[in-house]
Amino acid sequence: MFDLLGAALVNIVHVKYLLPLFLGTLAGVIGGALPGVTVTMTIIVALPFTFGLDPLQGLAAMAGLYVGGSAGGLVTAVLLGIPGTPSTVATTFDGYPMGRNGEPGRALWLGIWGSFFGGMLGGVFLIFTTKPLAEFALAFGPWEYFSLFVLALSMVAGLVETSLVKALVSGFIGLIVTVLGNDPMLGAPRLTLGIPFLEGGIPFLPVLIGVFAFAQIMSEVEKSGGAGAMTQPANSDANLKVSQLKVIWEILSRPFLLVWSAIIGVWIGVLPAIGGSAANIMSYDQAKKFSKHPEKFGTGIPEGIIASEAGNNANVGGSLVTIMAFGIPGDAVTAVMLGAMTIHGIQPGPLFISQHPQIAYGIFAAYIVAHPIMVLILGVGARWAMRIMTITKSTLFPIVLVLCVIGAFALDNSMDTVYVLLVFGVIGYLMVKAGFPLAPFILGAILGDQIEINLIRSIMTDPNPWLFVTRPISGLLLLAAVLSVVFSLWQHKRTQRRLAAAATPPSDEDIIDF
Amino acid sequence: MGRDTIAGLVILVVSLALLGLTFEIHSNPLVPVSPAFYPRLVLGSTAFLSFLMIVFDVAARRRAPPAAAPAKARPAKPRYDMVAVMFAIFTVYVVLLPYLGFRIATVAFLAVMQYAMARPRTRRAWIVLALVASIATAVTYYMFEGYLQVLLPRGRWTDF
Amino acid sequence: MKRIAAFVLASLALAAGSALAAYPERPIKLIVPWGAGGDTDVIYRAFQPFFQQHLGGTIVIANIGGASGTKGAKEAKDSPADGYTIFAVHDSIHSTYWTGVADVAYTDFEPICLVSSTPSILTASPKAPWKDFKSMVADAKKRPGQITVGATLGSTSHFFPALVEKAAGIKFKYVPYEGTAGRMNALLGSHVDLGESNLTQKGKADAGHIRFLAIATEKRSEEIPNVPTLKEEGVDVEYAVNRGLLAPKGTPAPVLEKLRSACGAAAKEPGFAKAMKLQGTLVHYLNAQEYTAFLKKNDQVNKDLAKELGLLKR
Repeated sequence: MFDLLGAALVNIVHVKYLLPLFLGTLAGVIGGALPGVTVTMTIIVALPFTFGLDPLQGLAAMAGLYVGGSAGGLVTAVLLGIPGTPSTVATTFDGYPMGRNGEPGRALWLGIWGSFFGGMLGGVFLIFTTKPLAEFALAFGPWEYFSLFVLALSMVAGLVETSLVKALVSGFIGLIVTVLGNDPMLGAPRLTLGIPFLEGGIPFLPVLIGVFAFAQIMSEVEKSGGAGAMTQPANSDANLKVSQLKVIWEILSRPFLLVWSAIIGVWIGVLPAIGGSAANIMSYDQAKKFSKHPEKFGTGIPEGIIASEAGNNANVGGSLVTIMAFGIPGDAVTAVMLGAMTIHGIQPGPLFISQHPQIAYGIFAAYIVAHPIMVLILGVGARWAMRIMTITKSTLFPIVLVLCVIGAFALDNSMDTVYVLLVFGVIGYLMVKAGFPLAPFILGAILGDQIEINLIRSIMTDPNPWLFVTRPISGLLLLAAVLSVVFSLWQHKRTQRRLAAAATPPSDEDIIDF
Repeated sequence: MGRDTIAGLVILVVSLALLGLTFEIHSNPLVPVSPAFYPRLVLGSTAFLSFLMIVFDVAARRRAPPAAAPAKARPAKPRYDMVAVMFAIFTVYVVLLPYLGFRIATVAFLAVMQYAMARPRTRRAWIVLALVASIATAVTYYMFEGYLQVLLPRGRWTDF
Repeated sequence: MKRIAAFVLASLALAAGSALAAYPERPIKLIVPWGAGGDTDVIYRAFQPFFQQHLGGTIVIANIGGASGTKGAKEAKDSPADGYTIFAVHDSIHSTYWTGVADVAYTDFEPICLVSSTPSILTASPKAPWKDFKSMVADAKKRPGQITVGATLGSTSHFFPALVEKAAGIKFKYVPYEGTAGRMNALLGSHVDLGESNLTQKGKADAGHIRFLAIATEKRSEEIPNVPTLKEEGVDVEYAVNRGLLAPKGTPAPVLEKLRSACGAAAKEPGFAKAMKLQGTLVHYLNAQEYTAFLKKNDQVNKDLAKELGLLKR
């Protein structure tokens, strides 16, 4: 295993892979730093660039983008007090006050090194558990897969802050997308609505691109029309100089905080479809709960920054485990990576690591190497990044839309996929306006075919429906699914009671983040 | 009618219509489970859930009369006009793309979209608009055609 | 006037000639209608460098799996016939056509050449209760229709066990698993009892993760001398999966010519033969003419098989 990893590390620093990795990380940092541009949107825009590359080049770029994006948001969070991506919400709680207290450099570098160490701990987990988990996943028969997918859907539906029923409806609309066109068993046409193109089924990537790009862009446009910049220019003469060793020591002298935040981040990453913002907030929350002086949180203390940033970067490692071992995307970013892999004919899943060791270990290596690159880019470019943020919406959004069109078109060199992009752009926007969370929809659209295939397979192997419950792993997964729904119902009751008392409406932000 | 009731009704109607269509699906003896089985399961559940959505919405409205809702202070009126314009421009772009070809359509799209989003008021702004449109098109075109092996659409009318 | 016409004609001819000489001027897409890591994929990934070398252009392998290999076939059929899309076919194109899984037939394409032939091996999961073919048959007779077989429905991995079924007078239950990769997953995890595989899976068999029951060849294979043939076990079944290359119907003749000669040269490369030996596959080259006859004969064989097995839908 270590020889494979070593070879992969040597391989990845070749210019052939290092360049896409560097560019991906850079794109991630920029996209992450721009408020209103999520990591998801950045990876969607980057997707078409990876079609012409070899699979590992493309995946290295995406891994770098993912790492860079998870860290990039902290620049905006610390210096402007606005989360650059939803996964840096908690970073603003202490990062911004510290910056305003005259220590923006310390706040920034605490975040950068916190991300670095958190991400590295996530990497250790990624490297050591992917293979055992993949071997464990081999024991999964169709029943287990079916139950796992049901669990994933119910978890993502349960986590949404709006109504559970609407989240479930959203997930089912996603499943309907996969029902249209053809049946996945024999490819026979069904429910084609008289459109010949649909006989091949609805490809999933243009659906995802359309839904996310338009939901995001239109929400921005709605707020203030098309004019104006992404953010107001920041005070660019803030002093960012700081002693690196001191900052690193500040982090490493709190090993418990660092490791615990990383564990939370990784765990949330492993669970399907939860995503970085939950990791960020939960790590922060846990740090506060374990702290001897919780009242100081929010005033600009280092613990708050370290926990939240270590959490969201460790989350990346966890998500990569899920996609590589089970073939299930941990969030929208890994969903796009899944799409990119399938375009290159690679099917992640239990056999992935043994069938494509170069690519699997290449992804590990890219993930590790992306971290120092990320530190370098943020260190050199933090000030410069603040300038990019003043780009006007009327410049950025049209270009993003063109790249979305190219991405959809290049999928199979056909305009049909571009029309899919448009149609689902409209549907996605309407769903956001009707208050439906998008995450369950996307997960449903991704998993739909697999749910059906495994359901039919299990029925054909043995028609006894009780097997879903009596097979131990499957039964446990279904139990977990039921519990997650019950838990979320209970939590909704609680928040509603609290809401009634406080009368503050929940924000719309969570709807867009996956 | 509330927002959820309308959304619920739309989804209910669509899922029931599709459910009706599943009765035209033919099955193949190779797979003993009909290809209509799973769609019916999904569509039936969707119909049921959207019905629940309507019920909850109506019940909630009965309990708390809508007087409470408008009391919320709105930060600013959402710019739906702008959203509609952007969707319209994008639709025209996508429809014309195969006829005009990538280069012509994209320059036009980028220019019109920038103009619609923020009308240039100074000479400098006009220059920026023109530069962004032409440079972005040229860079994406040469990058994808030249280096990334993605062939972008040629115009059916223009052959360019 | 005449001179002008001659000039125009000459320049046209020149233009056509240069357009042809330029082929391939951009990457050629080779559609493999199965997932990566499957047999077809592995064989064509080994073939690709030799083919590329003799063709003088880049070949990009596009795995378009799904729907018993017919998704990729449909895609290939609908692609422009300009020589920039070619199709990696195997016998399933006949079986899926006759069993009604898809409307794509071999006649929708122009043959380029036949490349290889891979004998099938009946393979059991490690947790299956029997050690050899005979006890499997005995068990199957005791509980008909209960031994599960992972198969790509309507394709070769379905036909092969169906032939065994018929010859041995037993009855299996089929569970759909797409492609060799998916089927191996199911066998390794013991989610099905039996499946078709071949010598590419020798490593897994040696490690005890799967068990070869019998090979469908005339004589025992040198690679696995301890695995009996089906004939020895009293079941008269010989079966192999033949793989070739096709181009969409209407591909210009000069382009086809180029593809055919490059394919022939590549198939004769000793390096390719060596790579195929590792895959438990025989290089089985047939030129376009022979391949046309082969396809026609094979199609009839598959039609008859489908009829005998009660799967004929046309």
